[in-house]
Amino acid sequence: MTYLAADVNSTALTVFAIVVAVTLVVTYFASKRVATATDFWAAGRGLTGPQNGFAIAGDYMSAASFLGIAGLIYLFGFDGFLYSVGFLVAFLTVLFLLAERMRNSGKFTIADVLSFRLNERPARAAAALGTLSVAGFYLIAQMVGAGVLIEALVGIDFWLSVVLTGGFMIIYIVAGGMLATSWVQIIKAFLLMATAIALTLFVLNEIGWNPIDLFNDAKAKSATPGDYLKPGLFLATPLDTVSLGLGLVLGTAGLPHILMRFFTVPDAKAARSSVGWAVGLIGSFYVMTTAIGFGARAVLGKAGEEAAGEGGNLAAPNLAENLGGGAGTTGGDLFLAVVAAVAFATILAVVAGLVISASGAVAHDVWSNIVRRGRDSEKEEVWVAKIAAVAIGAIAIAIAVIGGEGLNVSFMVGLAFAVAASANFPALLLALTWRRFNTAGAVTGVLFGVISSIALVIISPKVWAGPDSEGGAFSFYDLANPGIISIPLGFIGCWLGTVLSGERETERSFDELYVRSETGLGSEVATGLTLTGRAGRDGRKEEPAAPTPA
Amino acid sequence: MNETRAGGGADRVDWVAAERSPEFQELRKRKRAFILPATIFFLAWFFGFILLTAYAEDFMAESVYEGLTVGYCLALSQFIMVWVLTAAYLRRADRVFDPLAARAAARAVQPAGGTAPRAGDEVSGR
Repeated sequence: MTYLAADVNSTALTVFAIVVAVTLVVTYFASKRVATATDFWAAGRGLTGPQNGFAIAGDYMSAASFLGIAGLIYLFGFDGFLYSVGFLVAFLTVLFLLAERMRNSGKFTIADVLSFRLNERPARAAAALGTLSVAGFYLIAQMVGAGVLIEALVGIDFWLSVVLTGGFMIIYIVAGGMLATSWVQIIKAFLLMATAIALTLFVLNEIGWNPIDLFNDAKAKSATPGDYLKPGLFLATPLDTVSLGLGLVLGTAGLPHILMRFFTVPDAKAARSSVGWAVGLIGSFYVMTTAIGFGARAVLGKAGEEAAGEGGNLAAPNLAENLGGGAGTTGGDLFLAVVAAVAFATILAVVAGLVISASGAVAHDVWSNIVRRGRDSEKEEVWVAKIAAVAIGAIAIAIAVIGGEGLNVSFMVGLAFAVAASANFPALLLALTWRRFNTAGAVTGVLFGVISSIALVIISPKVWAGPDSEGGAFSFYDLANPGIISIPLGFIGCWLGTVLSGERETERSFDELYVRSETGLGSEVATGLTLTGRAGRDGRKEEPAAPTPA
Repeated sequence: MNETRAGGGADRVDWVAAERSPEFQELRKRKRAFILPATIFFLAWFFGFILLTAYAEDFMAESVYEGLTVGYCLALSQFIMVWVLTAAYLRRADRVFDPLAARAAARAVQPAGGTAPRAGDEVSGR
């Protein structure tokens, strides 16, 4: 088969339809249950640890993790794997510093934790700014990625692919809130793991079941066999590599859609056990990215580079087609279709998570607590959340369609991680651990983090790359990843704002937040909501778990 | 323990006293004794790997066994580190931190045999 947009791949369309149908059935069930704000944003806090672990994996592993890392490994060898390592190690930061504390002291958003001890309106405004920047950049990157991939794999036009992705996402959220979103993410995590396992087994079968042959075969088939297993093919500037590492390991701990997942479980114990499940799943998946990436190199060789597209995003689907029997065969078509559909499900699950976290910032933080000062009804809050989700989805669709395929996806994802690590993470960590920290510190820190990340990415070589300019806007600055500068700036902003302000009453409220976050005293109660019904109000479910729809 | 987790009684707590209680200080000390060294270790191991990747390219490309490189082995060691540290933390939290947290919470709610906690009090997220 070809990848021309005029050629619609009917096998892929059929598999797409099946995946979407399953998610819509889940959404239908969820829509009959979700009533309150706690149901809408936190799925009634009724998910079990394993369920939330799968949902975190589904929320976290974007198309960039699946197709992007496999493509980078295919094209550049070792450097691609660095991303896998960083994305996983980041969960230790989340587990040790934030997961249980978020569950114990928050309600729906990052801002809940900050406003606990800080002056509410400025603290919420700052946290909402951080959340919306991260979710916005990440969302647009995913939407553009979805459009490019679906156009290439299925043959649906770019704009229609974007509209379909955004449309399904809006349906999940508006109809089923976090309950539907969580189950879409759980289903996606199952599908993604199954696909990765299948690809890995096919690759191992192809090279003869000796994993070490994978490296030697891949090296031999590379354009630069001497350098393929050496670092530096993709990340050529050493300081940039360090900066990337810093951004990866601290960025995850500031991603609003990941932190929000800890509000969906009944208590801190379930929050930390969900991290345990998530690192098991995500780690296994990232180990398999090497089999897929090096496997693509060993199987497709140099000849496949052009078909893999920019960034190598199509290396994994092309590998599947080849392993299934080759282009035009039934097996090849089917395996390609499955990988394409899983990539689509992957993007759907991630964008739904992003938009529901952004709707929390708009409706819960800005509308309910800043504009209405907490005087609105819960019903109004949920309505505003749904309107916000539709509006954010529509804006993202519009930007992706107007910006088109030319929008630089890796630049947007880099920006999202940079803002998360430089603005959200310092403010959250210091609010939970530093007694002296105050409102001015939070506001200055978030502003420092957001502004420095955006400014540094704008002057970076990613934006200014071109035939004439090898470097960025300024010859002395050549970092593509701003973390090594912007993260310290975020912390300095927090410190500077704190010491320059005379506000001291936050030191008293520190004791309350500290005791609550460590002991779970007074934490939000689960409502007993599940996909199939609602248990008693004590938060203990009568049935162990909802049936697995996958 | 479940009752305190479920939110009861938090509206009548003297938080400063709760923070200073020996039970809470014990929890704080025991948690820090695990989390601080574990965090320093994982950051050191990870950034050691990153620094070698950035500045010791030839070393990372050396073969350990028939083409398996130092770099790939060190990368895999990061995965094992994450799994081991996560498992160790989960185990310690179940066995040590949770009982200590329950004691600290009980002490905070009833400093001297005061009122029993009411389940379902709406207290947080102002």
